[in-house]
Order: sequence, then C-alpha cells, then structure tokens
Amino acid sequence: MTKVKVDIFSGFLGAGKTTLIRKLIKEAYDEKLVLIENEFGEIGIDGGFLKDTGVQINEMNSGCICCTLVGDFKTALRQVIDQYKPERILIEPSGVGKLSDVIIAVQDAGIEELELNGFTTVVDAKLCKMYMANFGEFYENQIEHASSVILSHTKGLSDDKLKECVDIIRKHNDHASIVTTDWDELTGRQILETMEQKKTLSAELDRLREEAYEHEHEHHHHDHEHEHHHEHEHEHGHHHADEVFSDIGEETANKYTVEQIETALQALQDEEKCGQILRAKGIVEGTDGQWIHFDYIPGEPEVRTGEAETTGMICVIGVDIKEDAVRRLFNL
Amino acid sequence: MMNGLEIPVYLFTGFLGSGKTTFIQELLEGSDFNAGERTLVLLFEEGEVELKPDAFASPEVFIEKLGKEDLDHNKLADLAEEYMIERVIIEYNGMWMLEDLFTSTPENWVIYQEMLFADAGTFMMYNTNMRQLTFNKMQTAELVVFNRFTEDYDRMDFHKLVRVANRRSDICYEYAPDNVYFDDIPDPLPYDMEAPIITIKDEWFAEWYRDLTENQDNYDGKKIKVKGLVARDNTLPDTYLVFGRHVMTCCVEDIQFAGLACVYSKATQFKTGDWVAVDATIKVMEEEIYGEEGPVLICSKIRKCEPADPEVATF
Repeated sequence: MTKVKVDIFSGFLGAGKTTLIRKLIKEAYDEKLVLIENEFGEIGIDGGFLKDTGVQINEMNSGCICCTLVGDFKTALRQVIDQYKPERILIEPSGVGKLSDVIIAVQDAGIEELELNGFTTVVDAKLCKMYMANFGEFYENQIEHASSVILSHTKGLSDDKLKECVDIIRKHNDHASIVTTDWDELTGRQILETMEQKKTLSAELDRLREEAYEHEHEHHHHDHEHEHHHEHEHEHGHHHADEVFSDIGEETANKYTVEQIETALQALQDEEKCGQILRAKGIVEGTDGQWIHFDYIPGEPEVRTGEAETTGMICVIGVDIKEDAVRRLFNL
Repeated sequence: MMNGLEIPVYLFTGFLGSGKTTFIQELLEGSDFNAGERTLVLLFEEGEVELKPDAFASPEVFIEKLGKEDLDHNKLADLAEEYMIERVIIEYNGMWMLEDLFTSTPENWVIYQEMLFADAGTFMMYNTNMRQLTFNKMQTAELVVFNRFTEDYDRMDFHKLVRVANRRSDICYEYAPDNVYFDDIPDPLPYDMEAPIITIKDEWFAEWYRDLTENQDNYDGKKIKVKGLVARDNTLPDTYLVFGRHVMTCCVEDIQFAGLACVYSKATQFKTGDWVAVDATIKVMEEEIYGEEGPVLICSKIRKCEPADPEVATF
C-alpha cells in the first residue's frame, strides 16, 4: 500500500504559511493533494486558484486556541482520505498552537495509510527575535519540532539581522534544514527539496568527502607506483579516511563579492596557514543578488555565478585543516 | 507597607506592535498625567519600541521588565513596597489571558483604567485566529483604540466585533495622530421593542437574551414570541419549566445554557430537550430559581416545534 504523505506547516500568524503553500502547490507538488486548514489567513487560498490546481480544501471548525484540535480532527482526516484519495495531505494548523500537538494528533489518529513526512515552520525573519522574547512556549515548540525552517521576509534584511535570526533558530533546533533566501529567487521545487532534506549540508559534505577520497585515492595510486616504500602506510590511510580527513561545513546567509571568494580560494592554497585543503565547494549569495558558485581543487579554483540556493553553504575538506584560519577567510 | 491604601492601576492591553508603549511614552511625557507621582511601570512585553525615560515629565518613574513567572502576588507587592509607589502602569503581554494578571495583583491595586490597543491591519486576522485572546481583552476594556486605521477598513466591522464582547466600551479609530474618529455608531436592537408582540427570530436569541438580562426593566410587561429548549427536573414545581438555548459567545469552549424561568399550567407535558415555541408575557419578579429578582416568562401557550438551525445561538 502506498502511504499518504502528511506535511504540517506551522508558524505564527502572518509569517507567510499560506503564501508558501501556494508557491509549493503551483511549482512543486505534482501529486493529488488535500489541504486541511485550521487557520484563516490574510491571503485566503481562494477557491478559484485551487480549482485550477485540482487541490481539495477542507476547513476545520474554528481557529481559536481553545478549540485548535478538537476530536473531529481524526474524522476530518479519515474523511479526506476516503473522499479524495489524496497522495499527500497538507495541514495548516492554527498559528498559535504547538507543532508537537499537531504531530501527536496525527499519530494518535492511528490511520494506517498516513505517513508523517515533513514538519515545516515558517518564521518571519524580521520578527523572530521579538516573537521569541514574548511568545514563549508555543513559538519555541514550533521551531524545536520542525524538520525544516523556512524564513520569510528576508529580502533587504542585513547580514547581521539574518544571522541573529538563524542563530536563534539554531539554538532551538540544530538539525532542521533552513531556507534563508528570498522566496522570489527560488523555485517551489528548490524549497521542497530543502524541506525534504534531499539537499542538505551533511549530504553535500558526504558527497565531497567521497570525491576528495577518490581523488586522494587516485593520487596515492599514482604515488604508489613511484614510492614503493610508502605502500604500507598508505594502505592504512585509505581505510581510515575519517582519521585523516577533516572538514568544515557551514550554512551561511552572509553575502559575498566574487573577489572576496576568489581571494579566499587563493588563500586556501597556503598549506602552512590553512592546512592541506583537498576540496572546497560552496554556493553563497552575492552582494549584488547574484549567487556565487565555487569549486576548488588545489591549483584549480573555479568561481562562477549561477542559480540561487535555499541558503548559502560552504564546505571545505582537507587534512589537518586549520579551522580558525579557514573560517576567517570566509567570515564564518 | 502601604497596605490598605488604594493604588490605581492603568492597564494597557493589546498584541505586540499595537502601539501600547508609544502611548505610555506620550502619557508619561505629559505633565498633567505625570506630575511627580511615584509611578511603577510593569512591562510584560518587549516590543520594538522602548520607553525613553529622559523625555518623561517627571523622573519618579520606575520601570521593571517582567516575565510570566513574575505574575505573582508577593513579587508585585514587593515591587510596590520597594519603590514606595503611588500608582502602577501595566503593559500586558498580548498572548496571555487577563485572569492571570487579575488573580496575581495585590488587593489594594485597583484598575482605574483599562485600554486595549489594536493595529487595524492585523486585528481582523488575529481576531479570527486567536479569538479567545482578543475577546478576553475586549470584554473588560473601557476604551478600544484601533490605530493605523485607513479608508480601506469599514468601522462597522470593528464596531460589531467589540460590541459582541462589550456593550459599553468606548471605541476610537485613529487614522493619523491628529485624525481620530470617536465611535458614535448606535446599536439598535434587531426587533421592535414597541411592537404589541415582540417576535424574536432564531438568530436574534443571543442578543435578546443579553439585553433582557442587562436591561430587564425595559421588558417588564412585554409580550413575546420566542423559540428554544425545555429543561425540566423533579425539583421544579409542576407549573414551572426552564426555557432557553445554548449560547456561544467566543468559541465552543464557552457554550453555556442561557435559561429563563417559565410559568405554565401544563409544564409537565414537556421534558428536557424538547424544542418549543413560547408565547409569553415577561414579568420582572422575585424568583426562587434565580434566587433574586429577574425576568420570568408567564406563558399563555407552549407548543413543540422544529429545532432552530443552528441549534447553538451566537451573536
């Protein structure tokens, strides 16, 4: 039996949940959807728009805190499954409830066909700090239980403010994937990939480590032919990659110029200062709004502009990396 | 300890960004309000705007930033004593219920004035989704200020929302600092009080019931036709039944049975849960069921009927 995916979208009123859902429906989801709403936002997901997309909408009872998750939630879920046979259900709960309550409510419904897929929290980057200071428990809960945090209203926000917001989120949640880029620069599909953690920092690091390892492996083979007396030592090295390689992986909403990145990559070649850098790769936002992609193999730094990403990302892999020095190069 | 001496409290409620701090700042900058009284300002919220004490008309103002754990009788009494204050200004957190404050203030703190601030741009959305919180503040506010009001909004929409919670509060709409409109929208009852027989439509029940209980004398001797539910038990005399409907003010959590004592010779013909149409004369009298004076329906006719749709009455 194929399971019905359940995605929950939490976030305080006005954060932009409805706008995000609209974008995802328009640009990303390609399966049969039902949207269950328990909140009445500024921008209603109007009937006309949904008719075009074939999405069914199911509004729950009422939106005030005390009746957020009344007993008819299970009935509502059962009903939409039987009536519409969706492949995916989106739930937009009340913005002043706890995300964990909604997760538990879906679990407690005990409906076998359902599979909890993603818990997305939309956070207004401009108001995050103030809300965190005043709202307390439910707001923290929405961030703590998120599998992805999508920042809204980041356009025009300074690097410092954005970093402050990301730090607040990271303090409460160190595992969620984060989107810091202005939504207008992203496709719904890119956001969805991040939400579903198909493109995360750790995945990227794994890939790079593998590449670096391959590279090193070849390199060693090459050496092998000439330097027989080192054979034994190298054999060991190959099998304990983790002991030899170290890496820095960092998400960043900082903005850079192409020159800054080129200078940094140039500096990576200095083994004394930085350690032996085998590979570096990243995608970061440019100060001019263009996105900078870079890829570094010793002696071959490559910098170009390209597609926007959901957040900036810098990965450096090497042997005995001098972390502080490398971080300084990228203002991390 | 200033025990016994009354301490006036000026309470300001509303969500973040609704203009509470700005108003308090202006208040304390004025020498008519701030003429040197020792004033304690309790901030239960950290908004974007911060108070600037340098601009206050008098320096006898003591500001304390507090959290939810400080909503404690002893803590607040200690603060009052520490600063030897004569009055208190409270900026309350918009996400908390007022009961939490009212149950934690010292006995000699008396609310002199309560004002609710609301940003017209977000109020409707907040009200729809956080009805319990907005309703809670509107219920006790003496003045509701809708700021950042524009021509795009209809004052009537806001007026109606406030009136469901509170019939007496003043309301004003601030279009600009020097352009404030004071609400003078009358609130006529939907039915004609002077009709020979007043007929209450199903959708008017909640409003009728509230007006009847608040202004019972206006209804003394009036003839009425109204539909509702019967409630009867063995303790009632044979000529009595209780008539009423379930009324929802804010949300499903607060549904209550709004009932009235009815006198009818054949009251035993009906049982709890029957829907009935009643013809009656209202008489304000001493009544045991109420334990005091109240409106009693002296019925000339009661017959069974179809339930109202929806069964729960709302405003």
